[in-house]
Formats: sequence, structure tokens, C-alpha cells
Amino acid sequence: MKRLPGKIFSTALVKAGVVEATTERDLIRAHMHLHAVLPRLADLARLDDEARAIISEMNVAIEFFVPGGPKVVLHFKNSSVRAVRTGKADVCLMFPTCKMLNDMFDGKKVTPIPIKGVHRMGDLKKLTRLTDILTRYLKPSQSEMADKEFRAKHVELSLLVGLAATEAIATIEAKGRRVASHMPSGTMLYDVKGGPKAHVIVKDGKIEVFPGAIKDPTTTIEIRDVDLAVDLVKGEVDTFAANGSGDIKASGGLALADEYNALFDRVGLYLS
Amino acid sequence: MKLNSFDKSKELFLRATKVIPSGISGNKNPAFAVPGSFPYFAESGEGCRYKDVDGNEYIDYLAGYGPIVLGYNDPVVEAAADAQRKLGAAFNHPTPRAVELAEKLVDLIPAIDWCAFGKNGSDVTAYAIQTAREHTQRRKILMAKGAYHGSQSWCRHGLGGLIESDYEHVLTFTWNDADSVMDLVKKYDGDVAGIIITPYHHPAFADQEMPAPGFLQTLRKICDDHEIVFILDDVRAGFRLDMKGSHEYFGFKPDLTCYCKAMANGYAVSACCGSQPFKNAASRVFFTGTYYTSAVEQAASLACLDELVKSNAIEHMMKMGTMLMDGLKKTAADNGLEVRLTGPPTLPFMTFASEKNFRRSQLFSGEAAKRGVLLHPHHNWFIMRAHKEADIQRTLEVADACFAIVSKEFGKD
Ligand SMILES: Cc1ncc(COP(=O)(O)O)c(C=O)c1O
Repeated sequence: MKRLPGKIFSTALVKAGVVEATTERDLIRAHMHLHAVLPRLADLARLDDEARAIISEMNVAIEFFVPGGPKVVLHFKNSSVRAVRTGKADVCLMFPTCKMLNDMFDGKKVTPIPIKGVHRMGDLKKLTRLTDILTRYLKPSQSEMADKEFRAKHVELSLLVGLAATEAIATIEAKGRRVASHMPSGTMLYDVKGGPKAHVIVKDGKIEVFPGAIKDPTTTIEIRDVDLAVDLVKGEVDTFAANGSGDIKASGGLALADEYNALFDRVGLYLS
Repeated sequence: MKLNSFDKSKELFLRATKVIPSGISGNKNPAFAVPGSFPYFAESGEGCRYKDVDGNEYIDYLAGYGPIVLGYNDPVVEAAADAQRKLGAAFNHPTPRAVELAEKLVDLIPAIDWCAFGKNGSDVTAYAIQTAREHTQRRKILMAKGAYHGSQSWCRHGLGGLIESDYEHVLTFTWNDADSVMDLVKKYDGDVAGIIITPYHHPAFADQEMPAPGFLQTLRKICDDHEIVFILDDVRAGFRLDMKGSHEYFGFKPDLTCYCKAMANGYAVSACCGSQPFKNAASRVFFTGTYYTSAVEQAASLACLDELVKSNAIEHMMKMGTMLMDGLKKTAADNGLEVRLTGPPTLPFMTFASEKNFRRSQLFSGEAAKRGVLLHPHHNWFIMRAHKEADIQRTLEVADACFAIVSKEFGKD
């Protein structure tokens, strides 16, 4: 099947009454699912043995897209995963609407329309196994969280999802765009003591997120320990109170931290 | 020398976090200074010094974020407040103090013919923009990017609790760029109610910027040409540059002016003042609060303004501020560091020339607080009349030790 230009296709579906028009919320959530959650498969390759073994057997590019909406291509190659937003794929999975894509991430039964690479069922099964592992880390059971090592991985992946999700707030959400428009450029290091590190690069309102440390960050956010970070990624920490008590130590460019935090605080409204 | 520690501040803060959202809300939250190396709670003050709950004493350059202009616990102001307190603090009606204070301000400030009183700066900046909207029957308000005009929703920082309609008619221009103002005036032709501006630019987390020659005068002309109300937010700088209002210092004339901080040496009172043509519009805006008429603060303000005039306080504060600014520059240089001192001498601010991320400032301020001098790392400072040469000298001695620590940690410039 030839690809229809996305916007025309989705507009036609809406007009025909087949699907509902996309709301700002649906679009933001879809953007987060494709650009903040799915790219974590790259981190999973580093953090989880089982996932690494599955990824090492894959050599494929898989695309998720919503016509007229967000798109991601996951390249599985040489035991690693790379997520990009443009280019071709071997397998293309279309979700007619953002809402359907979001439903799938919410665990509802949704069947995407395979536009290309239908025959590569094996790769799709592997992908499903990988996303199941990712879900285990992002929505863990209590018993899994009892394990210290698991907790640290949960924190790292959740933190990366949360940080990466700020991009959708900054670029799509009307309120977030207001903050992003005057957010100073710079780099922010998140340093969970005894746990993972992650960093954010903000440049002219654009946000990119990476695992690990960065040299000479503009702003450093030190988080007391993994347990506090668990609560932080759940959105259960009063960050101003934690700053005063020393549980969180912010230093350096606090104007950046302050603006960025306003975006980060809103992620929980869309992802839970 | 024994360094200050802040254990009781931290203890009290932990108690506070259990019963007060964020422990201490807004810009007084420790997160905005140097958590762990700064006091969180105050106990008492006298002159240019105050004590925190740990019993540490500071030579203070934050002055309660501005209001303490004479000095803590000033005897003349306290006597006036006490006298009124004996008569009563709040009544069904205003007291004669309200009229006396309005008359005093009208006498003092040539540009104004009337005043209305509130409690905080935010009360009167909000009232000023509403008066401008009422006068012009237009919607848009223009303000400078990074400027602070208070915590009401039209200009509130951040996103918490706001909806788009709160701020959709508030637009920002770039300080010292009259073209960026003109662009907005053209774009929203016939719908700009007011331009609100501070007399010079004093954003947090940045150097202060004085108005470029002609900038404020050009804004005045734009307002005249387009029948826009020109509002001066003098909440922070008022009565520290010129007793006739900061516009006199910079040579321009606003239509409405907002005062607060230095009006009453720490008592809660603010004023929106204006010239005759705006008085009727101001009358039509419902402006009140339970305590807007309370008399103790107004009595304190009357005494404070008298004292400022009588003692020629601004001249003294300018001298002390200049001594501090020059001294810091030299002391930094002696330690191999370059600092930038910006703003007028009565409201100075210092940043380190070789950084943008305030790490040196945070170390410097934290170490100074441990040694009994309070200099905020991110917010401009305030000089008081109570600062004397010996206090500045002591401050420079402490600064010398702190610059040495900074230069050891970060290297010389
Ligand atoms: C220039 C300016 N405007 C308005 C305000 C708001 O005043 P308040 O905090 O008393 O409401 C401030 C407070 O710092 C200020 O500096």
C-alpha cells in the first residue's frame, strides 16, 4: 500500500467520522510514548540481560507512526537500539489516531495497521517481549521493587522517560511553550547518589535527554538516594521542601532548574 | 573564627515542611539562595544587623527583600507604629492616617495627584494594570522579559495554578529595546492598555541593567502617541533613588506609579499613585482588602518617609553603596578575580565575570553567610540608612576571605 500523506489521511478519517479529532492531550501523550518511552529500549539494552539477548538477535528498523502525528523509527542493529524520528524502516506500524497509539501504551488491546514488513512477525514478537520488559521496569510490582538493583534500574528508566517527556510539554502544550520560550539554554545533570545519572541539554528551548553524566553542567541536581528518586519520579516529592532539607541539592544555574522543573512537574499529568 | 551553622534553621524548616506547602513558599524558599549555607528563619533585628534562629548575626544586605530602608527596629518608626497601635490597628473605617499618607505622597512626588493603598507590591501592580485597562477600555499589557511585577496571576512566575486566559493579554518586550515595544504596539494596534516597567531592569539570576539613554523617554512618547497608560513599578527601587520617585532620577514621567518596599521600613503597606486624568478610572476599579486600611502600617509609613527626607538618607545610602561596590571590585581583583557590580549604588548586585551559572556566587554567598554577612547570590542587594562605614569595612574583610575561597576552588581569572 502506498503511503498517503499523513495529514490528509487523518483529516479524511476524522471527516468520515471513522475517528475522533486529536486533542492536545492525545497528541502530547502520543509524542511522549514515541519519543520518551520507546527510546528507552536503547537503555534497556544496557541495563537488562534478557533484553540485551533479544536485541542481539535483531537486525531491523521498525517504525511507529500516527498519520499527521508523531513518528519514531527504532533501529535494532549490532546489539543496540537507536531511535530516530525520520527515515525509512523495514516494518511500519500505523496507528490511525494518537488515541489508539496511547490506548496501546495504556495496556488496552489495539492492533496497529501494518503498512510494511507484515512478514517480519518474528521481529514484532521480539519487540513485544522487549516492551513487556520495559513495562516491568516502568510499572513495577512491589515485590520487584524490594530488590535494590531493580529499584536503581526502575529509577534510571523512569527518570529518563520523565526528562525526555518534557520535550512534548515544551513544544506542544500551550502552557509549556510559554515556559520554554523564556527558558535559558544550558545543561542539567541529575545525579542520584548511589544510583544513576542522567543529563538534559536545553538549547534555544529545545530539549534533549541522555543517560549518564555531562562535564561542567550549568545546573546540578543531586538527589539523596535511590529511594528518594523513586518517590521523585512518582511525583510524590515536594521539591522545594526537599531542597531546603538538603534531600535534593540544586546548584549552579537555578533559573534553568526553576523553569525546567515547571515542565518536569507537568509530565505526571500525561504519563502515570 | 567560628563559622555559623544553621541547625535550628534546618530543624524548623523540617517542621515547616510538615504543615506548610514547600516549607517556605515563593522566593524566600531556601532553594533560591544557598540551601545548607544560609539561614532560613529570622529571630530579631537592630540597625543593619539581624539574628537568625541559630543566634547567628548578619550584616544584612537583603533588608527583608527591600522594605528595611532605615534599619531594623528603627526607633522613630516603631514609636509611630506603637502610638497608632495604642489607638487601634484595624477599624470599620480608615483612620486619618490614610488621608495624611496620601497627602504626604502627593506632596513628595510631583508626578502624582492621588494614591490608593494596599498591603503588598502585587496588590498595587495588579490595580495599576486594571486601572489602565479601565481608562483605555483595552486589554493588552506590555512588560519587559524577565521583569518581576509580583505574584498575581497576570504576571505570576511558573505555571502552577494558572490558566492561559490569566496571562494571554500580557506580552513581553526586551528591556532597552524600544523597537520591540513598538512592534507589539503596532501588532496590537488599538488594544494596548498599558506598558508597565521598572525604572531600571533588575531581574533575578542576572546582572542589573540601567536604562539606555532615551529608552524610558521613548516609551513615554510611544504611550503618548498611542494613548497607552505608562505604569512605573517602583516597588523595589522606590525611595532608594530619589524621594520624588525613581522617574525623577531617570528623567521621565509615568502616568501611574507603584510603591511598596521602602515606604514603611518593614510595615506592610503599598501604594498605587497616579496623575489626575487616571483618577476616575482608578475609582471604578473595586480595590480593597480586609487590611488595606489598617492604620499601624500607615502611621509607620508616615514616619519612615519623614525620616528618609529629614536625614537625607538616600545620599548616605548612595555613599555606602558606592563604597561597597568599589570595595568588592578591588577586593576581588586582589584575589585574582573579576566581578561585575551592576545597578545603582543603593541596590547593587555582584556576579562573577567568568561564569554564567552562579556557582562562584553560590560559594561566595554561602561562605559569607557562615561569616556573618548576608549577600544573596541571585537577587539584587539593598543598602539601608543604618549601614555605616565600619559595616562596609567589615563586609569587605569577610568578602576578602570568601573571594580567597572562591579563587582556591575555581582558580583565578
Ligand atoms: C519590582 C517589583 N514589583 C512588584 C513586586 C511584588 O511585590 P510583593 O512581593 O510585595 O507583592 C516586587 C517584589 O519583589 C518587585 O520587586
